[in-house]
Amino acid sequence: MASPLERYAELKTAADATYAGWRTPQRPRIDVAIDTSSLANGARATRDAIEANISERNAVVDLGRVHGYGMQWLHPLVTITFPDGASVVYGPVRAEHAALIVDIATGAKPATSTLAIGTIAGERAGIPSLREHPFFALEPKTGRRLIHRLGFTDPENLDHYIATGGYHAAARMLDRHQSPAQVRQELIDSALGGRGGGNFPAGTKWNFLATAPGEEHYVICNADEGDPGAWVNRVIMEGDPHLLIEGLIIAAYATGSKGGFIYIRDEYPLAIARMEQAVRQAQEAGLLGEGVFGTEMNFELRVIRGAGAYVCGEETGLISSIQDSRGMPRVKPPFPAGAGVFMKPSNVNNVETYANAPMVIEHGAQWYLEYGTERMRGTRLFSFSGDIQRVGFMEIPFGVPLGGVIEACGGMLPGLQLKAIQSGGPLGSMLPAREVPNLSMENAPFSALDALMGGGGIVFLSDRICTIHMAEMFTQFVEEESCGRCTTCHGGNQRQTEIIRRTIAGEGRHEDRHNLALIDRTLQFSNCVHGQFSPKIVRNTLRFFSDEYERHSAGRTCDALECEGLIRFRITNQGDPRLAEAQDICPVAAITGTPGRRTLDEAACIRCGACTDVAPNAIVREAKPATPRLVALS
Amino acid sequence: MPLETESRAQIRALIAEFRPNHGDLLATLHRIQHEYGYLSREALEVVAEQLHLFAAQVYGAASYYEEFRFEPPAAVDIRWCSGPACRARNGGGIRDALLATLAVQMNGQTEDGRVGVRLGQCIGTCELAPQVWIEERASHTNEVVGNLNAAKAVRLARALRDGATAQEVLRG
Repeated sequence: MASPLERYAELKTAADATYAGWRTPQRPRIDVAIDTSSLANGARATRDAIEANISERNAVVDLGRVHGYGMQWLHPLVTITFPDGASVVYGPVRAEHAALIVDIATGAKPATSTLAIGTIAGERAGIPSLREHPFFALEPKTGRRLIHRLGFTDPENLDHYIATGGYHAAARMLDRHQSPAQVRQELIDSALGGRGGGNFPAGTKWNFLATAPGEEHYVICNADEGDPGAWVNRVIMEGDPHLLIEGLIIAAYATGSKGGFIYIRDEYPLAIARMEQAVRQAQEAGLLGEGVFGTEMNFELRVIRGAGAYVCGEETGLISSIQDSRGMPRVKPPFPAGAGVFMKPSNVNNVETYANAPMVIEHGAQWYLEYGTERMRGTRLFSFSGDIQRVGFMEIPFGVPLGGVIEACGGMLPGLQLKAIQSGGPLGSMLPAREVPNLSMENAPFSALDALMGGGGIVFLSDRICTIHMAEMFTQFVEEESCGRCTTCHGGNQRQTEIIRRTIAGEGRHEDRHNLALIDRTLQFSNCVHGQFSPKIVRNTLRFFSDEYERHSAGRTCDALECEGLIRFRITNQGDPRLAEAQDICPVAAITGTPGRRTLDEAACIRCGACTDVAPNAIVREAKPATPRLVALS
Repeated sequence: MPLETESRAQIRALIAEFRPNHGDLLATLHRIQHEYGYLSREALEVVAEQLHLFAAQVYGAASYYEEFRFEPPAAVDIRWCSGPACRARNGGGIRDALLATLAVQMNGQTEDGRVGVRLGQCIGTCELAPQVWIEERASHTNEVVGNLNAAKAVRLARALRDGATAQEVLRG
């Protein structure tokens, strides 16, 4: 019977042939990036137009698919691979550029074009290497580690994964090169920490499961990436789905698990489709199911589609959700390693954590330790959004300065200043721009400020936002997503939201600050992190944006002109012809009258801003004049 | 046990592959909602029989999740992104404009069932903030409309309300 490595060699030989033909094609090939971001930017229309153009002209060009590279502000992205193996990335490529792209591919037009971003393989005169783009300045100099396949493989092709070294770590491990205990020790030596934000050593966690009693163990992948502004797990699942499967095979072997679940949030349909397809491919190739790689190891892996409940990202909530019930977190202990899914010992890690395992096993702990800091080892994926020039994701070593990140992202949009850094999602934090010099991309400097770096999403907010107004978004979120078990959490978050909303409505009170602190203390008695962390953003706001808070509650002023109760809209130029359009666009008909004599009814106005969108020079958004207030007689 | 009717038999056939105590509930509910657009009382009862649960347990679990519905959905839903990058660019104003234009509450729909507005969670396409997604029930399509402002949101909602199809709105 063939050994796992022999089986792997067989797969590899076939995969190499396929992949070589793809990397150095006989005919030029146009790959359109097909991922959630590229699609949102219109990649399907781009692809359709290119396809139509190719068939119309009978061009000798093929059409393929890749995942985007991280530069989401340049989507839709297209890569042209020429028969000499050179690949040039173009973006943003819209449907109207189809003829140009096909011309470049056939050689009718030179590869240099205003749309050219860089080369990812080979060279083309006049086009820089993509790695030289300032967006990638912080990525490892020796190249990407976790997401090195993005742009270089078709994520839906198993052969591409295998040809680029995929499943070798699993095959070698199964070929009795490493015992389960050795695999776990390698993980411990690598100091790979949980990437959900906690940084708990993955190897130690796997030890808990491996030593748990009973035969029936489960590995569970938390892909319920619910923090708004974080999408790094989506990138792994859409861009390199087999990497996650290989990571789970390694985890299952190391922990003696026969079953596994990947719980993916409902909002990620493409990630769900790609993972389901990859699981089928792996099953058909004998890499999953009964007799993994021809060994005695059995491993059934299933994809579970969530249904929109943030708190299912908490591990016990996620487990409840898998087993036919409400996804409500429960009290720990027992921890999942004691009683997990179906009350069987289980291990929960997130996507990125498992996805790191293959490279630890392939290259060894020492190799892995090359990057990162003393406390947080390796590289990690971050997604950056907000009012920065370059929205996207990158893989950077832990510990790089936050200031460097802002620079790589091109700084803030023209005319805007950084005001706040929002990290860690709704249970995370909001820090002021003045703390940037004290912050680097690891947990410790954030924790020192009572903040949370979290699961990889960082939102850069500019001076056009009001932090109280932004805090309301998060308080409402945590209130709505509370499972309802703890009164401290569902009740406390209702009160917290109420107070913040009242402040926004212009009715902040002196005692609010005291009451918010009281709610904060009460929320600490909630059973799970949802309740415990839910007052964090408000606490940060009160501490770091104290002046802004005071100006709202005592001064009745919102300097960013966002808080509905403290602003008004007023017609300033009756002669502006666009006023008619403003009158028409108002969804509540608050603007009435005839040309030259229009009025804006402040009581009816909902402050949506549609009128200033169409008539910015005729209507102004301004601070509401102070109204006389009752003063208590002493 | 209720009488077997044609519609119950149809639902039963649709979910025949799912088993009790196997972590199949979410998949079962998704299958039904994909087919019918929502979870009817009858469907919940059939699910309960199939998975050996009480109907109350099925309803209790289903109603816990944001995505499951118990009434027929609108033909087109405007899914409003509630994420921070959108919020930072007048996402709140866009929400209020959409709701006011259609005279509906969040997660509600117009009386004729043509258009609804639903709360959306960030999917990480923040380069297009502020944005909404247009979800068409009949075709199961979901397209992002990005770089919005409140005025564009009003026009989009009015067009859908007045009979434009999702495709017409997306092209326009």
